[in-house]
Amino acid sequence: MPWYLHLAVRQLFPTGRRFPFFTLISTLGVALGVALLVIVMGVMGGFAYEIRHMIVDTEGEIQIVAHGLIGDAPAVMKRVLAVPGVAAATPYARDAVMIKFGDKSAFPALRGLDLASVESVTRLSQYLLVGSLDDLDDDSVILSDQLAASVGANVGDTIEVYSPLIINKLAADAVFLPRQVRVVGILHIGHNQLDSSTVYGTLRLTQDLYGLGSTVHGIDVRVTPGSNEDDVVARLNAVLPEGIRAFSWEDSFSDFLWVLNLERSMIFFLLLFIVIVAAFSVTSSLLISVVRKTREIGLLGALGGRPIQVAACFCAQGLFIGVLGTAVGLALGFSALAVRNHVVLWVARVTQREEVLRRFYQFSELPAHTSGATIALIVVLTIVISTLAGLLPAWRAARLRPVDALRNE
Amino acid sequence: MSDAVLSAQAVRKSYASGDATLEVLRGVDLEVQAGESVSIRGESGSGKSTLMNLLAGLDAPDSGTIAWGGSPDTGARRRAAYLGMIFQSFYLVPELDAYENVLLARRILGRVDADARLRARELVSAVGLSGRAHHLPAQLSGGERQRIAIARALMNRPGLVLADEPTGNLDERTGNAVVELLLGLCASAGTALVLVTHNAAHAAKARRSLLMTAGVLGPPA
Repeated sequence: MPWYLHLAVRQLFPTGRRFPFFTLISTLGVALGVALLVIVMGVMGGFAYEIRHMIVDTEGEIQIVAHGLIGDAPAVMKRVLAVPGVAAATPYARDAVMIKFGDKSAFPALRGLDLASVESVTRLSQYLLVGSLDDLDDDSVILSDQLAASVGANVGDTIEVYSPLIINKLAADAVFLPRQVRVVGILHIGHNQLDSSTVYGTLRLTQDLYGLGSTVHGIDVRVTPGSNEDDVVARLNAVLPEGIRAFSWEDSFSDFLWVLNLERSMIFFLLLFIVIVAAFSVTSSLLISVVRKTREIGLLGALGGRPIQVAACFCAQGLFIGVLGTAVGLALGFSALAVRNHVVLWVARVTQREEVLRRFYQFSELPAHTSGATIALIVVLTIVISTLAGLLPAWRAARLRPVDALRNE
Repeated sequence: MSDAVLSAQAVRKSYASGDATLEVLRGVDLEVQAGESVSIRGESGSGKSTLMNLLAGLDAPDSGTIAWGGSPDTGARRRAAYLGMIFQSFYLVPELDAYENVLLARRILGRVDADARLRARELVSAVGLSGRAHHLPAQLSGGERQRIAIARALMNRPGLVLADEPTGNLDERTGNAVVELLLGLCASAGTALVLVTHNAAHAAKARRSLLMTAGVLGPPA
């Protein structure tokens, strides 16, 4: 190891001494900044990640929709499935309904699933708390858990489903009786909006309730692993009939994702200031060190050390504090992320705000997802900023002439 | 051809002092042969330390030439290899133990190998501190620190050691021991020594004694 790096390490961690105060404070400052960045970026990334999962698991990676209805669904399906990169596709119909159980009613969205193909595109089965998709038929539905709780329905109960078609029938003086269906499953996705207002039925049931005939509202598509969603979307749009378009889940939620990214960037920028403030404290401590060690710096020059090497010694101290602070900060940040739900639930329980938390943030747990790119950015920026913090003291040290420094008694 | 490890010819140095110019060295000539020991005495302010800084290449003369082993290259890199320096205030690095302080001279010169580590241990032993090799400077007495500084000066087997009042911060008994040690080690290694001191007894122990008077170097009266 070059002498200036060896000396930098020794000045931060002197032989036979406990962890020096300056090193401890400087490292902690950087570590806290990194930990906060990791925690906040992790939680914000978690929201985006969970939303992606929720959408992809319930609707596939690509949604095909028409301005109105898709008339010849089998023909469109055939074209879609022939496109390279498409692994599976499933048609669906959806709209609002009213459900009634006893004297309780609710107004959820009904999503009609094609039982033959839905499991090849979505992963609804893994969200079922009770029951199975195999139990679903044209006279049964699966309720999301909060919806089931709100109307008091359980598996085995029979509920009444009213569709807006009833208004048309009433206008024509026709009698339209509500559809009686059995509850065969309870589902929990983890997103408050979906869990409180979604009913899953068969495609045929939904088409009957809305008088759709054989038409559908859209087609959900799953892409083959490794395929680029945007490329598949482009290929689909090249073969789809006019009036029918394919969108990736990112296209469908582009405004939301843009806002989310803007929020993340702003918060990242603001939290980075904690690291910058910590770096100022490193600069200040190293400047004091240069003044305190003036004669030692002179000695190093007298022993043959070149100014650039003396500068490197102080710059390296900034670098080492940055590396150590980053490592400690990553450990602190990931540890905090690991226990985040315990902490949040404890706070919510103590303040009796569990329900508010769930309603406000949509998710039943505080999500977290940290991408490698975000961590790499945090690590690189922190180490660069810490190293730059050593530049001013390094420049000051390098400018000292040995003859003047040694005279400094 | 001269065997001089150090040669200074007509060296002049002056400093601005307000509106006036203070002429500190007025044409100093000095030649030190390999293995020779030379002492320089003089009153405070006579220019001894200024001369030492110029001889060490830490400062440049206004006029005149200085050469080490016949070469005018007195840059940092050559200084690390050719010169050993000892100061009145020891100047040990407080974060390094005694052994590491000795080894520092070799680290600055380049890669530290097993031979270098062995030599550092031998030198620490030669100055009588093998039992305190891993003590920090703060745990050593003044005399012990100066012994470590002597070991550090000899670490790179220099051709010349410049010692600027090495006993200035030591009591008489310790100072005598340090000078004896320094002269003995330099003599056994064949290293030339220039010793600046106020102490006449210490100066007398060198093979040649010089006197600095008002910026002029000459034989003692």
